Amino acid sequence: MSSKPQPPSSSPPPNNNFAVAFCALAAARTWLSLTGFSSLLDHNQLVSSPLTAFSNLKEGIFLFNHDIDPYSGGSFRQSPLLLSLFTTILPSSSKPLASLLWTLNDVVGAYTLVQIWRSRQNVTSSRRDTLVAAAYLLNPYLFLPSLALSTSSFENTLMLSAILFACKRKPSQTVFTLSVLVQLSLTSIIMVLPAMLLLITDPHSHLASPQPIQTSLRKLWPLFGEFSLYTIVLILISTVIAGSWTWIPQTWGATLMLPDLTPNTGMWWYFFTEMFDHFRPFFLMVFSVHLLIYVAPVCLKFQYDPLYAAYILLGILGIFKPYPTLSDPGLFVSMIALFPETYQYMRHPIVTLLLHLHAALLMPLFYDLWVVQGAGNANFFYASTLVFACANGAAIVDALWSGLRVAIGETPEGYVVVQE
Amino acid sequence: MEQERPPSKWKNILDKLRNLGQISPDKTRRTILRRRYYVALISRRLTLIEIILFLIGYLWLLVLPLPRLGQRTYMDENALQPAQVNTYWNWDDVHAADNYLDHVERLRDNNITSAKRAEWLQTELGKHGISASTQNYTFSTSFGIVNGTNTYAILASPRHSGTEAIVISASWISRIGEGNGTVNVRGVSTVLALAGFLKRYSHWGKDIVFVLSDGYLEGMQAWLSSYHGTSQSGLKVDPLELTSGVIWTALNIDYSGHSFSHLGIFFEALNGRLPNQDLMNSADTIARYTAGVPVILYDHLDPEEEPAAYEAPWWLPKAIHDIKEVRSYLYQAKNVARHIGYQYNGRGSGVHGLFRQFRIDAITLYGIPAMGPHGFHAIGRTVESTLRTMNNLLERLHASFFFYLQTGPRQFLKIGLYLPSAILISVALMFRGLGTWVNAGWISANHNSKDGALSKESTWRSRKRPITGTLSVMIAMHAFGAALFALVSSSWFISNIETLAPIAFLTAFVLPLFALVIPSTKSEDVAPMHMILKTANLCLTSTVISIITLMNFSLAAVLAVVLGIPLVISSPSSKMSVRIAKYSAYALLALGWLLFAQQEIVKSVWSWQVLLVWFAPFVCIVYVPLVLQAGIVCLLQP
Repeated sequence: MSSKPQPPSSSPPPNNNFAVAFCALAAARTWLSLTGFSSLLDHNQLVSSPLTAFSNLKEGIFLFNHDIDPYSGGSFRQSPLLLSLFTTILPSSSKPLASLLWTLNDVVGAYTLVQIWRSRQNVTSSRRDTLVAAAYLLNPYLFLPSLALSTSSFENTLMLSAILFACKRKPSQTVFTLSVLVQLSLTSIIMVLPAMLLLITDPHSHLASPQPIQTSLRKLWPLFGEFSLYTIVLILISTVIAGSWTWIPQTWGATLMLPDLTPNTGMWWYFFTEMFDHFRPFFLMVFSVHLLIYVAPVCLKFQYDPLYAAYILLGILGIFKPYPTLSDPGLFVSMIALFPETYQYMRHPIVTLLLHLHAALLMPLFYDLWVVQGAGNANFFYASTLVFACANGAAIVDALWSGLRVAIGETPEGYVVVQE
Repeated sequence: MEQERPPSKWKNILDKLRNLGQISPDKTRRTILRRRYYVALISRRLTLIEIILFLIGYLWLLVLPLPRLGQRTYMDENALQPAQVNTYWNWDDVHAADNYLDHVERLRDNNITSAKRAEWLQTELGKHGISASTQNYTFSTSFGIVNGTNTYAILASPRHSGTEAIVISASWISRIGEGNGTVNVRGVSTVLALAGFLKRYSHWGKDIVFVLSDGYLEGMQAWLSSYHGTSQSGLKVDPLELTSGVIWTALNIDYSGHSFSHLGIFFEALNGRLPNQDLMNSADTIARYTAGVPVILYDHLDPEEEPAAYEAPWWLPKAIHDIKEVRSYLYQAKNVARHIGYQYNGRGSGVHGLFRQFRIDAITLYGIPAMGPHGFHAIGRTVESTLRTMNNLLERLHASFFFYLQTGPRQFLKIGLYLPSAILISVALMFRGLGTWVNAGWISANHNSKDGALSKESTWRSRKRPITGTLSVMIAMHAFGAALFALVSSSWFISNIETLAPIAFLTAFVLPLFALVIPSTKSEDVAPMHMILKTANLCLTSTVISIITLMNFSLAAVLAVVLGIPLVISSPSSKMSVRIAKYSAYALLALGWLLFAQQEIVKSVWSWQVLLVWFAPFVCIVYVPLVLQAGIVCLLQP
């Protein structure tokens, strides 16, 4: 149980161990990114969606460099911020260089996750650091999209940075990172409330002692104001970069209107390929609003531990967002490492694990049967994404249960805890 | 009065609504008791459930060939219209084929080099006014260097732009004896004569590609991979000078005997894949009704159609095999066994098998060697009419089945009728795995009492189930499997296989014995490692079997039979001698192939290096570790 912060370990050996292990992990990832393995993933729809694919980014950069509006076609759907980044500061012309850049991004993400862990425990280093870093760097759901150079890896790092800034009580940095994140992916807007709650409370584990939130919620208003300000400024900057407003329907609009039905690991594409056109606007609205309805209940229930609320919402985003890649559920899976106090109360971890194992094997197999061999069809792949959604759903349900269950503690002999 | 009544009515409804959300403690109690009852019901009967699942699964595998289980094949794609055209292949063309046969036989008898032969074939194809070319290839593998020369020609479609193509092929070496060197003389002659014949007609809407590949399988693999622009380590191949459109279907002709009595259909592709069933059904219909040739599966004669050729098995009393159903069962069982034999190791049943990796549906028409009555006339008409049928296609073959179990030439099982057999066995494994996991989590409080049977009042304490040690053992075993594969596929090992295989067996046998020194868990509050290892091993095996069913059903069925019961019964023992004996049995099951199937090792490694068949790496990296882990479960201290 780590409801109480662990005493800071002052001995240097664990710290050195972490540095060595972290460097080894980073080196292993660098080696992996430079092997030819990544070329197998170039056109794989599991690891990059139309909104995050590297090939689309390259096309956008090419059009942009040749003075053609990249948003006039239907293929480039990334934010103008990424466009400006990759045309000016970070040239991505060579594949090895880009691979290194993506690996570096993941290493930063892993270090951020370790920092979040440390600030949750209120220590400067702990024995678990290496495990937390490994949970991020060795998670196949995270490193496969990164090997395929999907920009969803950057979204994950931004998400973790925003949470870390919130843990460290740095309002401006948090809010700015969040508004950049929302520029890249509109659905991340549901993470704004938990991140701000985290900012006005603290990141330590209060799962064992639930209580109404102590701080006044009025502190949120200036934060929301700042967020809106940054967002408006970033919108204006994006418009200046893109030269017109056309980027909005092509990037944010795609999230809401789902123009590209390329199969992915999420729940949306199949539903909308099957849908009659006159129902489309209604169900687009339902699916989009459905993402929002989780924010308030989860934040209310876990108001005493906003980091846990953020974790649950990230899991929900991983299942239900319109254009997910494997890295969205992957972030949730890696974040499980932050909450060891809930492990002993999980009800069915082995079932969740086996569901994930089945889904992780079935998805590439059915994708191959459908798209490569032509022996299967879309239903095969959709069935496997349903298994994947069940796996993620089981993980979230268990996370919710165990997160609430911590508060009750060990049950005396002859007592059972039930859910009503 | 008027005022009182409505409020009381409303109050009732409101009370009811309020009570809806609330659950009385009594109801909760009942829920808990009911849940416990069902959990106890299942966990007490877990062994019985498993035995039932195993029994149904194994019985299901046995009843697959039952004649009443399957259904008749039927044409699904309406565009195909098989056997609906007049054929023009006639005795002139048969004469042309006979002339080619003389030349080809001379080529065979004079031992002419591949390059010279290809040159002659190219010239002959060119004489028909078709653009023809040759292609050299070299495979460097652990077996040394294999090279040869393919010949191919492309008949441009007179009616279309050539965006799609059909392949007619014949390999130089026939499939007789798995490519032991019999030359496919009449197959090659048929293709040469067909090239001249087909050129004369203008109804082709697709390019027709004639491929005369060298060797048995390797030539076609080289040709196909350069046609589709894929690269493969160890393969050096000339780029193709002539190309055509997307190949949709292919027909491979294998006819080496003097004449043939039946046309045999071979269809299994590499890595457990199958061509669309419509292609087989078309060929079957056309051969029967256009050419008048009986069609069989492989070279198995149907006892009902050919009673003369049927030999009753010696072990079956005459009274029983006189029953028609029994004879049909035995015949279909023979077909299923042959199918499993071709499919489980991923090697397929011939040259047609190489096409499916590029999404091309292909079969081989095999003339069963006999002294009559059919010859070039029948095979020419069959191929001509099948080409006309394939020419009708407007999109790739997609309507009919890709997942089927052919029990006869016109009899098959749908996926829903054969898949559950292996799945049920894998479910039984999963149940045992989860049951072991649950058992590992609890310990009886009066565990130390020597009463034997536990009293009813015995209380249960939960205990920890650490997984890191188990996971490291499993990762080590799979890494060990990868190392074993690297060794087995090296040229050094292959060239000295007779001496090195027993040494490899001994090494692989001795290494897992390290498990003997893993100390048993001292504390009673920690689950013993053998339970956790058994859980992980069974769950992983179950997952592997159920996933493989869709890639390669035969492999999954073989795995279910070989791994099912042995993995479930693995358990430690207190006696050292029993532990070693049990482990030895598992090690023999895991690694016995190193001692007893050296010829198979050579074939599997060859298929991996030349045809990219993943059976060899699968056995080393997945199968061997799974069985050895069951052995380690026995070695660990109880």
